[in-house]
Amino acid sequence: MAELKLQHIYKRYGNVTAVGDFNIEVADGEFISFLGPSGCGKTTTLRMIAGFEKPSEGVIMIGDQEISNAEKGYFLAPEKRGIGMVFQSYAVWPHMNVIDNVGYPLKIQNVPKEERLKQVMEMLELVHLKEYAERLPSQLSGGQQQRVALARALVAKPSLLLLDEPLSNLDAKLRESMRFEISAIQKEMGITVIYVTHDQSEAMTMSDRIVVMSMGKVQQIGKPYDIYTKPANQMVADFIGLVNFIPATAKGDRIFMQGDEAISFPNPKKLAGEAVLAVRPEQITLSKTGGMVEGVMNHRFYMGDSVDYRVKVKDHIVRVIQKGAGYNTYQDGETVYLDFDNVMSFAKDE
Amino acid sequence: MKKSLPRLDSKFIVIAISVLLLLYFIVMPLLVLIYDSLFINGVFDISNYKDVYGKKVNWKALTNTIQLSLIVMVASVIVTFPLAWLVGRTDLPGKKTFRTVLVASYMIPPYVGAIAWVQLLNPSVGYLNEFLKFIFGLQKAPFDIYTMGGLAWVLTLFYSPFAFITISRAMEKMDPTLEEAARISGSSPLKTLWDVTLPLMMPSIVAGGLLVFIAAASCFGIPAIVGMPGNIEVMTTRIVTFLYMGDDKGIRDATALAVSMMVVANGLLMFMSWMLSHKDYTTISGKSTRPNMVELGKWKWPAFAVVAGYAIIAVILPLSSIVVTSFLVSMSKGLALDNFGIDAWIPVVTSSQYMESVWRSIGYGIVAACIGTVLALFVAYLSVKTNITGRSIPDLLVVLGGATPSIVIALALIVTFSGNYGLNLYSTMWILIVSYLVKYMTMSVRTIAASLSQVHISLEEAALSSGASWIRTCKDIIMPLVAPSIVAGWFLIFMPSFYELTMSNLLYGSDTKSLGVLLYELQTYADTQNASVLSVIILLIVLIGNIILNKVTKGKVSI
Repeated sequence: MAELKLQHIYKRYGNVTAVGDFNIEVADGEFISFLGPSGCGKTTTLRMIAGFEKPSEGVIMIGDQEISNAEKGYFLAPEKRGIGMVFQSYAVWPHMNVIDNVGYPLKIQNVPKEERLKQVMEMLELVHLKEYAERLPSQLSGGQQQRVALARALVAKPSLLLLDEPLSNLDAKLRESMRFEISAIQKEMGITVIYVTHDQSEAMTMSDRIVVMSMGKVQQIGKPYDIYTKPANQMVADFIGLVNFIPATAKGDRIFMQGDEAISFPNPKKLAGEAVLAVRPEQITLSKTGGMVEGVMNHRFYMGDSVDYRVKVKDHIVRVIQKGAGYNTYQDGETVYLDFDNVMSFAKDE
Repeated sequence: MKKSLPRLDSKFIVIAISVLLLLYFIVMPLLVLIYDSLFINGVFDISNYKDVYGKKVNWKALTNTIQLSLIVMVASVIVTFPLAWLVGRTDLPGKKTFRTVLVASYMIPPYVGAIAWVQLLNPSVGYLNEFLKFIFGLQKAPFDIYTMGGLAWVLTLFYSPFAFITISRAMEKMDPTLEEAARISGSSPLKTLWDVTLPLMMPSIVAGGLLVFIAAASCFGIPAIVGMPGNIEVMTTRIVTFLYMGDDKGIRDATALAVSMMVVANGLLMFMSWMLSHKDYTTISGKSTRPNMVELGKWKWPAFAVVAGYAIIAVILPLSSIVVTSFLVSMSKGLALDNFGIDAWIPVVTSSQYMESVWRSIGYGIVAACIGTVLALFVAYLSVKTNITGRSIPDLLVVLGGATPSIVIALALIVTFSGNYGLNLYSTMWILIVSYLVKYMTMSVRTIAASLSQVHISLEEAALSSGASWIRTCKDIIMPLVAPSIVAGWFLIFMPSFYELTMSNLLYGSDTKSLGVLLYELQTYADTQNASVLSVIILLIVLIGNIILNKVTKGKVSI
C-alpha cells in the first residue's frame, strides 16, 4: 500500500545537477536511509518526495498514485500527499503547546476535539511525553521537542514517514537512545520510513536498506551488511567505516601491490591496469611469526578496548586495529606480519 | 593581576565621564522640561496642562495627531505585510531591486517628500492633478494634498519603511520549516499563513506598527508643509507655534504638550521592547534548510505589476518631481521640452547665503558624527565587552535620547541650556550639535555594539596569548573587525544630522541657519524651485553617503 517509487528522478538548479537519475522501489514497511556527505543530494531527494521541491525529471509514486510527474508538469501539493515528516530543526511551532502541536494534523482533518485529544494522548504516550502535554516548546529540551515533532508526524497515521537528519542536533547519548526508539516505533506502527542522515552508524543500525549518495548520484543501494562488506566502489568503501587504500596494478587474474610485485591478490572483478586495493583495519591480523605481508611497526595508539597501529609496508602506512590487544605486545621498529582477511579491489578513479 | 588593576580604574573613569556627559545632556534637559511643565515659579501646578488642553485648538491638534498616526500605522502595516512577504518569501522578479527601492524613502528627508507631493498633488497646479485632469477631461483637480487624507498619504509613504524593515527582517529570520511542517500536516498555503506565519510574525507586526505610529506623531516636516496650508494642526506644529510666540506663556504651553508627547512615545517604545523580549518567537530556530520560495505561478507578473506600481508611486514619482522641478526654466510654463535648463541652479549655487547653509550643515554633520562615533564606541564597548556593574547604563541613556521625539529634545535643550543651568548654548552651533547627538547616537551605538558582540572574547585572548599588548590587540584584531561598523556608525549620525529640520528649526540662530531650515523657509515662501534645487543637492549627498556606506559595509548597513 505504501510502496514508494522514484523513477529517473533528476533535480537541476540551472547548470548544477543536484540529483541525477535516482531510482528506487521502497517496499511497504521498509526502513530506508539516504546516507551521504552534506551536499550529496539526499535532503533534496527527500524534499522532492515531500513536495517542497519539484523534480526536473522523473516520476514519484506512492502505491499506485502518481504524486509527481515532471513530464506532465504534475506535482501534488505537500498537504495532499498524506506524508508525515520530521525536520532537522524540529519545526515545533513555538506559539502552540504540545497538545496543539501534535493535534494540528488532526485539526486540519476536522477530527472532533475529544477524539483528537484521545489520539494525541496516545501518541504522547508512545513518545513518553504525556506529562509535558500542556507545556510550550520553549519549556522543553531539544530531545523533547524532537519527540513532539515525531508525535506530530505520526498522529495522522501516515503510511510514509520522512525524517530529515532528525538526530543531528541532539547530544551523543540521546542520539543513540532515540535511534532505538524510532526503530521500535516504526516496527510497532508498520510504517514505511525514509531517513536522511550523514551518520553511517545511524544508517547501519536502523535501516533495512541504505542508499549511499555522493555528488547527486546514487552510489549503491543495499543491505547494511552488503554495503559494508561489498562496497560498490571506492567512494562507498571510504565513506562507510575505516579503510586502507593501497595503490596496485591489475594484470590477468592477479592484482599486484605497488612497490612490491611479489605481493598479489586475486582479481575477481577482472580489472586491468591501475587499481586500488582496499582492506579494513579491523580485518587485518597482526603476528610476530609470519603472514601474507611483512612490515615494520611504526606507531601505536592505545584506545582502551583496542589498539590502533600504524604499520609501514614498503612505501605505504597501513592502519591496523586489534581488539583486546595489549599496548606492549609490539614495539615500535619491530618487524611484524599482516594477514588480510577481506581484500577488496577497485579500478582507480572509479 | 597587578596589571589589571589600573585598567579597571581607567575603565571606571571612562564610564563615569560618559555617564556624566549623557546625564547632563540627555537626562537633565528632559527632567528640566518635565519640571517646567509641572511647576510654576517653584510651586506644583498642573494648570499648564489644564490651560493647554482646555483650548479647543490644542485639543483638536491632539485628536488630529492620534487619528493621523493611527491611520498611518494601520495603512503602513496593511501595505507593508504583503510587500514584505512578496519580496522576502516568493519568487517575485526583481526582488532585490524592490527591497532597495522600498526602503529608499527611509533615507530621504521627510520634508523633501512633502515638498514633492505638494508639487504633484496641490489642487491648483499639481503635476499629477494636471495630468489626471488632462487624461480624464476633468474640470477640477481630483486630489487636494492639503487635507487630512493628503497628510496621511504622505506620512504613510514616508514612514511605512519602518514597518517594512521590521516585518521583513522578522520574515527572513523565521525558520521556513515551521511553515513546511504545517504544509506537510495537511494545511493549505493560505491556512498556513493564517495558522503559523501570522501568529509568529505578530510581535514584529505590532512593533513595526508602533514605530510608524511614533514616527508619524513626532514628525514636524510633513505636517508643517502639507498640513499648515490647509489649517490642519498636529501636536508638533502646535508646539512650534507656541514657541514662535516667544514669551514665557508660550514656552510653558509648549512644554506641557511636549511632555505629554514624550510620555506617550517613550511609553509605547518601552511596551514594544517588553513585548519583543517576551513574545518574540522568530529567534527560536535551529539550523534550517535554504528558505523555500513560494512559487507565484500565474500570479507572478500581476504581483510584479502591483509592487512595481507601488514603488513608482512611493519613491520614483516624488523623486522625479523634485529633480524635474529643479531643472525647469520657468515654473509657469510647465513641462515642455524647451522649458528645461539649469537656470534655476545657477542662482542657488552662486548664492553665498544658500551655499553657506549647505557647507554649514555638512560641517555640523561632520562634527556631530565625529564626536558621536567616539562616544558611541565607548558606550558600545562598555556595554558589550566589559562586565563592570552599570556597564549598560550609558547605553540605556543613549536609547532614551533616541526614543524621545525630536521636537521634545529641542524644547528640552532650549529650556535647559539658555543659561539657567550652568551652560548657555542658545543660538550657538553647539546646541544644534548636541541635539543631533542626543537624537541620532543610538543608531550608531547599536551598529557598533552589534559588530563588537560578534568579535568573540577568544579572538582577543588569542592575540593576548600571542604576546600582543592590549593596545596592540585593539589595533591588530578588534579595529580591523569592527572598522566597517564604525564607518557605518559615523554615517548613521552624519546623514540625518546634515539634513535635520525639526530640531534645527527651533534651535538655529542668525549665524547658524542650517540647510533643512533654509529649505523649509523657501518652501513656505513658495519658492518651490529653489527648494527643489537644494533638495536635489541633499539627495545627491545622501546618495553618495549611501554608496560609500554600502561599499564599506559590503551592503550590510544602509540608511
